[in-house]
Amino acid sequence: MGSENCPTCVELRIPCKPEYVGVARLAILGVASRMRFSYDEVEDVRLAVGEACTISVDWAKKNGRTESEIVLRSEVTPDSLVVEIDDEAGPRGDESRENPSEQEPENLGALLITLLVDEVTVVPRDGGTRVRMVKYARQ
Amino acid sequence: MDTKTLESELPLIELEGEVDVYTAPQLKQQILSILEGGAKELAVNLTKVEYLDSTALGVLIGGLKRMREKEGNMVLICPNPRIRRVFEITGLDKIFEIFNTEQEAQSSLEKESE
Repeated sequence: MGSENCPTCVELRIPCKPEYVGVARLAILGVASRMRFSYDEVEDVRLAVGEACTISVDWAKKNGRTESEIVLRSEVTPDSLVVEIDDEAGPRGDESRENPSEQEPENLGALLITLLVDEVTVVPRDGGTRVRMVKYARQ
Repeated sequence: MDTKTLESELPLIELEGEVDVYTAPQLKQQILSILEGGAKELAVNLTKVEYLDSTALGVLIGGLKRMREKEGNMVLICPNPRIRRVFEITGLDKIFEIFNTEQEAQSSLEKESE
């Protein structure tokens, strides 16, 4: 997804800090409201994006990278909303395997994302992680 | 965020607005100070909450766990279907007792302590 030559793309850059997660939620709420989504589906996208940013903020804190940024990109297609959230929060460990009995907020957040959107992929990128999610509009 | 005591002396935390990664630490502090005060029961009112994320859920789970360790309980008041849905999709509605009104929560806790 690139913002050049993409008339339906929106890009937002925010500090990777707790107080800015609400800004990302507000932005995606505006974009999702333009889709043929139900009220609940718009809320799903807002919550999923909030959770993805929260996980980035948590890792930035753990890795001492609170001065980094989150870049949120969204693209509206005829039948879906695609959102990418890139962070520079450093590598993510696998805490769920280390403490399988712990219901950590991060695990809950990841669970929520998978329940709220139709597709989600999480891939490492330079200095951080990219989360890509897709929500399809019902026909 | 406001802490009150109901007529039955049941401690109550009233939350408003967005409870997320930024504001949930305040909720955690409130719950901890109520626990340190010796309370075994607590109600958290989510009626005026507009948004609740996994950080808030984690804090509430922690509070419930600590109350149950003291053989007490923590209940939620949440008539808002949008917020209730977050508990339902995560399966947490089966772990928390969730009521529609303060009166319902109060009478349930009174029955438990009898």
